[in-house]
Amino acid sequence: MPGPAAVFAGSRDSWVARALEPLTPLLSFAMVLAVWSLVCLSGIVSDSVFPPPWQAWEAAVELYQTGVLASDFAASISRAAIGFAIGATLGIATGLLTGRTALFSLLLNPFLRVMRPIPAIALVPVAIVWFGIGEGSKYFLISYTVFLTVWFNTHHGMEYVPDIYIRASRCLGAPRWREFCTVTIPAAAPHILGGIRLGVALALLSLVAAELSGATSGIGYRLQEARQYIRTDRMFALLIELGLLGAGLDWIVNQIGRRIVHWEQA
Amino acid sequence: MSGRVEIQDLSISFHGRGGATQALAPTNLTLEPGTFTALIGPSGCGKSTILNAVAGFIAPTAGKILIDGKRIGGPNPGVGVIFQQYALFPWLTALSNVKFALKRLSLPKGEMESRAMDCLAEVGLADAGGKYPGQLSGGMKQRVAIARTLAGEPGVLLMDEPFGALDAQTRLSMHELLLRIWDRRKATILFVTHDVDEALALADIVHVMASAPGRVIATHVLDAPRPRAASKFDTTFPGLRESILGLLRPAVSTQ
Repeated sequence: MPGPAAVFAGSRDSWVARALEPLTPLLSFAMVLAVWSLVCLSGIVSDSVFPPPWQAWEAAVELYQTGVLASDFAASISRAAIGFAIGATLGIATGLLTGRTALFSLLLNPFLRVMRPIPAIALVPVAIVWFGIGEGSKYFLISYTVFLTVWFNTHHGMEYVPDIYIRASRCLGAPRWREFCTVTIPAAAPHILGGIRLGVALALLSLVAAELSGATSGIGYRLQEARQYIRTDRMFALLIELGLLGAGLDWIVNQIGRRIVHWEQA
Repeated sequence: MSGRVEIQDLSISFHGRGGATQALAPTNLTLEPGTFTALIGPSGCGKSTILNAVAGFIAPTAGKILIDGKRIGGPNPGVGVIFQQYALFPWLTALSNVKFALKRLSLPKGEMESRAMDCLAEVGLADAGGKYPGQLSGGMKQRVAIARTLAGEPGVLLMDEPFGALDAQTRLSMHELLLRIWDRRKATILFVTHDVDEALALADIVHVMASAPGRVIATHVLDAPRPRAASKFDTTFPGLRESILGLLRPAVSTQ
């Protein structure tokens, strides 16, 4: 609840903020585009190094017309989806098992502390040796990073289920399996969904890491290809595509999550 | 009649960094079936410890607790608990929270639904069944929690400062509600509070406790009929309110 001070501090220009609120995403993009255009128009940097927005747009249109945009998008998203599905499923399942077992909690944390900082890109060589340069190594890389994060978050959520829910459940005579399914899991659900949201972001991150080396399709591959031809306009178009893809996926996951853990809204 | 609670030489110690602390010195209490007992004392006096032990949440260090002659081995549906923080499941509607307590009876679906509705009606919330706890006020949450616990028909009802988080007005109406329900169901109630007036308004027996180590230092039998208005405590229980406050005061000031 905001205190009186917060209300007063905000009230000075609140009508401006309120009128502009639905437009803020548009305004934000317009501002960035304006600055970007101005920098390019000023001639400080060469167009071939730092292309203006309209050249990036033309590159995007070109990619779209040749059909590469759609096929890369399909290749990338299906890799991300399959890798994510494997990683998230295993991560949730493992977390549900380890989170309520004291022994696992003790053994797990030091291990995770060492594993989590390893960036996905550092695993690319191992993935290629193990699974070749085909789809297998991509699925492995994505599902591994997603798995680790989803496992960690699920484990934590299960570990810190408020004691009072467990006590209430037990003195209401619920057997352990019912307690697990209808009390412990829902109580941990906000954490699990937090893990899934992080997992989606990481899936995209490791997807690009995997595609930058040893792929023949996908957004990451197209970026690498653009480097060989020094097509910075394409690079910018592809980077924007990645940004939009990530933001879109996060929005979708967030919308679904809000429906599932409807009780967590303030 | 069932719901007899016998606490025999119960003592409880907790192991912390500075070694073991005795939260409760050996204590004997008997709650007769259908009676209303209040435990009152400053924080750290072990009143909640006794309640948690009767609930089966913590194991006695020594001594034992018997309910209808049977030793407590953990939480069980014969002993209902009302928590200060309500402990409703926020992912379930009020009605589903109540149904949670009925699941173990494996009733036919229709009967479970109607019994849950009856329990909500008993606490005056017949219309709130579809609401989630997050949509209810503190007083309404606690009424749903009472309905949920009563649905399991426990012989013993433990209440751990159940109305401590509510405003004075709501607390008074909760007292009326509780006495009305108790009058009908006649469960044995163990009620933990730090509010003298609450204890005097509700209980048959008040045990006053002190801390370091937790122990019972005085017991008063209150045989005045209910409802008891707080404004008339001086004539109903001459000198008792001051006497209990006097017992509590030194313990409070040394904290």
